[in-house]
Amino acid sequence: MAARGHVQDPNDRRLRPIYDYLDNGNNKMAIQQADKLLKKHKDLHCAKVLKAIGLQRTGKQDEAFSLAQEVATLEPTDDNSLQALTILYREMHHPELVTKLYEAAVKKVPLSEEYHSHLFMAYARVGEYKKMQQAISAQDEKLAQTMFLPLAERMVEKMVKEEKIEAEAEVQLYFMILERLGKCVEALDVVRGPLGEKLTSELRSRENKCMMMYQRLQLWPECNALSYKLLLKNPDDWQFYLSYFDSLFHLMDKSWSQPEEGEHCVEGPVQTTVTEAVKFVVDRMEEQDKKESRPLRGPYLACLELIHRLRQRGCPDEKELGDPLELMVQFFGKFGDKPCCITDLKIYLHLLPPEQRSQFKKRLGELVPLGEAGEDGFGFPGDTKALQRHLCVCQLSRALGLQHALDTEGKLRLITELKAHYHHGLQFGKSCLKTELQFSDMYCLMAAHVYVDLWTETGDENMLWQCLGVLEEGLSFSPSNAQFKLLLLLLFCRLGAFQPVVDLYSSLDAKHVQHDTIGYLLTRYAGSLGQFAAASQSCNFSLRFFHSNQKDTSEYIIQAYKYGAFEKIPEFIAFRTRLNQSLHFAQVRTERMLLDLYTEADVTLSLEESVKAMGVCPEEDDIPWDNMRDNRDLTVLVSWDPKDRELTEEHRRLSLEEESVWLKVRSLTLRLLASLALLGHAPSPRNSDKTNENGISAKSSTLQTLLSQLDQTLETAAQITEKQTQYPFLGPPSSRLASALSSGSCITSGSFLFPHADLCPSLPSSLSPLRPEMLSRCKGEVLEMKDGRLTTRPSLLETLVFFVETVCVVLWVASYSASVLRPLKSSLQKKKKKKKDSSSAMPVVLCGFQEWTGSLQGVVTQALDHVKGQEASLTALKLAALTLEEGYSQTQVGSVQSSYLGSLQELGDLLRKRADSLKSLKI
Amino acid sequence: MTTLRAFTCDDLFKFNNINLDPLTETYGIPFYLQYLAHWPEYFIVAEAPGGELMGYIMGKAEGSVAREEWHGHVTALSVAPEFRRLGLAAKLMEMLEEISERKGGFFVDLFVRVSNQVAVNMYKQLGYSVYRTVIEYYSASNGEPDEDAYDMRKALSRDTERKSIIPIPHPVRPEDIE
Repeated sequence: MAARGHVQDPNDRRLRPIYDYLDNGNNKMAIQQADKLLKKHKDLHCAKVLKAIGLQRTGKQDEAFSLAQEVATLEPTDDNSLQALTILYREMHHPELVTKLYEAAVKKVPLSEEYHSHLFMAYARVGEYKKMQQAISAQDEKLAQTMFLPLAERMVEKMVKEEKIEAEAEVQLYFMILERLGKCVEALDVVRGPLGEKLTSELRSRENKCMMMYQRLQLWPECNALSYKLLLKNPDDWQFYLSYFDSLFHLMDKSWSQPEEGEHCVEGPVQTTVTEAVKFVVDRMEEQDKKESRPLRGPYLACLELIHRLRQRGCPDEKELGDPLELMVQFFGKFGDKPCCITDLKIYLHLLPPEQRSQFKKRLGELVPLGEAGEDGFGFPGDTKALQRHLCVCQLSRALGLQHALDTEGKLRLITELKAHYHHGLQFGKSCLKTELQFSDMYCLMAAHVYVDLWTETGDENMLWQCLGVLEEGLSFSPSNAQFKLLLLLLFCRLGAFQPVVDLYSSLDAKHVQHDTIGYLLTRYAGSLGQFAAASQSCNFSLRFFHSNQKDTSEYIIQAYKYGAFEKIPEFIAFRTRLNQSLHFAQVRTERMLLDLYTEADVTLSLEESVKAMGVCPEEDDIPWDNMRDNRDLTVLVSWDPKDRELTEEHRRLSLEEESVWLKVRSLTLRLLASLALLGHAPSPRNSDKTNENGISAKSSTLQTLLSQLDQTLETAAQITEKQTQYPFLGPPSSRLASALSSGSCITSGSFLFPHADLCPSLPSSLSPLRPEMLSRCKGEVLEMKDGRLTTRPSLLETLVFFVETVCVVLWVASYSASVLRPLKSSLQKKKKKKKDSSSAMPVVLCGFQEWTGSLQGVVTQALDHVKGQEASLTALKLAALTLEEGYSQTQVGSVQSSYLGSLQELGDLLRKRADSLKSLKI
Repeated sequence: MTTLRAFTCDDLFKFNNINLDPLTETYGIPFYLQYLAHWPEYFIVAEAPGGELMGYIMGKAEGSVAREEWHGHVTALSVAPEFRRLGLAAKLMEMLEEISERKGGFFVDLFVRVSNQVAVNMYKQLGYSVYRTVIEYYSASNGEPDEDAYDMRKALSRDTERKSIIPIPHPVRPEDIE
């Protein structure tokens, strides 16, 4: 605060000592000095505010606030007061008051650029984006188009005429304004003109902006010529091959012809025929062939891209470029020893007809130098380059579907070969640091993939255990290989064993935004497998990230503005929105609350108190259903699967749809519980019956609405599960929707709660405690050992979780019923005392309820026995008898067993807690 | 075969194949936003034809011009395992150096774990030399000091006498570096 500009103002001189005191932390003196000053100059508002700052800092918040408001109501426009109030409000954590302050100031002094700028920043801090966007640009498109942008344009135009534009940022902004106004021609003129010369800090900034405008304006000749020019400079820049081909075909479609005289276009020569394009690409390849230094991949891939495009157009000229098979073999010859060779060629494998696939593999094999075959029939590479080539052939043959075409025998032999190569290749990486990958790691991963193929095809669980074993070995040699960890993690989840997953995930060191992109790997399974504590923790990791995002982003919108990075402002706002609308964010906040209710409500706090503490409002739906963003990274697990087994856009769409519907079920369950809790205010006997009914009917109508929404959602859910969508194994996990529906969980049946909505006195009789078949669906051994082999049935755990969740819900419904019935009973007893005769209907209700809680007690006891039994038989398993020859690793088997036990313990604990609260249900 | 372009916020959702590497730090959102807001030209990403992110460089310009310490700084440079051995890191470094040249920097510098021999050797090949050692520059996630860093530098054309890269013989502490 001490550094202040204009010294001429006498007020500044008067205020100076107060600033100094405040700066030095001498708040008392600051207050005294301000008082002194205010005696002489009553209207020196700023002194009041500075006094308020002193008061605020000495803990007298209320006094400070009322003093500040005295000044604020006067709507000051002097810089000193405004800045001091800004500081004060920020220290009071009331940034929203700053916006009011500057709104008023801007109204009074509409031409002050400085105040507009302060107002913008104040909006940004509070996060009032709508207003902020109105203040600067585009969201309120109409207002922006008709008012702000033209205004801004005129302002900048004036600056241009007066030659006042000096900074690059100003040119950027001018360009942005024109672009947003759709004045692309003008924007282009700016970039190409003298102002464009100022665009220097970003590499190729002018060219990129020109290209953007050419494409927008469909100036294909310019687009083509510029791409051509840029590719001559850098024949490896992929984006310009794409714009070169795009523009070429546009020009061909329009039969564009060169003007007879003069230049083709400002950017230079234009190419308009396939012949020219072919020659261009061939020339680029030859250029690389002649080069002494490392050749670039660009031209060779561009050649394949051109064939692909010509084929799409049914153009016969593709032959002039050569046979795709030969070209790909040639590419492999040049780049087969690079790990990215597979990624490059994978995109163009469809250019090979199916009958050429084996031949292609054979041709590639000829280019891989391998040593003499040993006893096992395998020849090995002599160095890492040869290894990489061999590996690439394996990857390509998988991508061509050749591995999938093998029968079980063939696949097992393939695994043996891959493992042999893996082990052989370890010798090249003996000196690798722990943080580096082994050269042969990908053989190991591929062996694991083939095991997964076998497991999913044959259902032979031994394949899964073998797969875990090979990955565990891989991790021991390459402890930081994220792909090993990710696949292990996924497999353990599929096995229903969540405990090992926790360590694996934490060793990935996933942080911040990664919680949004890969956090789903944890949160999908933790809760559904009964690891409630871990589930809660996983949700917390993510929630912490999302909540901090809300604060974090605003500050940087202001920074972007300050530093003139105007293009980043809409980008940051979009980013913030993307995080706020994240599917994962909505999931973790809903699941976290449900978890808290299931594990804690009615244990330490009542359901009602828990709901209130969480701030759940049954009427409010805070999930952006229509704009949900799926930020999950669904390709984080490496896959070399053929195209027809890869994750498609349709998979992505279906997975999001399925997750959204499941989320809706969960969120409605949560809101139903909340409305039940709030309904549960025991009717106070002092009030008349009539008001009671009215009070309840408002709330119960919310309940009704939610119930009918749940019914609708469940209908949609049933339709979705009917489709039985199968995702690629390495793609998104299925949601819990299907297993929830098949578990018979009452949570997934809206009508279960229905009879309570209108408080029908006959409720207990219409409420079957828990469908007996639900528990029977949980029966069976989750882990069995027979003839030295293990069988797991993780779905039993999931069903048990649904059962336990159902018990919780049923209990809350029951405790609500009890709260209604208790006063009924006491009033009946009073009546009984007065009159000897009473209506016979009421006691039936009461008896029914008691009967009902009795049978619920029975079911819960049975469930507890079941859990106990499971724990006992799990512990009794002699897993040490399992041998490594069968593919079992003792550590892994042990961790699966202990994870199952952990799940059972948590489920058992929760059931016991619920059994206790059941006792309090007596009426 | 690469598309080189400005890094945008949306890339944060796609960079797992790069950032799940044990030596690549995933920073909090503010850190990335600060760089994007302040030095957007210094944050460049390479994209493969299939859309995968290959690698990125993140840097800034800082230091006093008067004291001839105005320079480009490499904050992070990482290439996904499958896109290594293509010379991509060198290309990204070259771009950062060019931007720093345009801004009139005297040199480019960077910090690297002393144990990260692969990176140290690569930087040496690119013309960088160890200027000084910074003691316990890196800390583990629990806040405990973890490892020393080399502060490596390469002179730019403005530093005609290459004064900026004359090594300092004694190691320094993190708090002593500006």
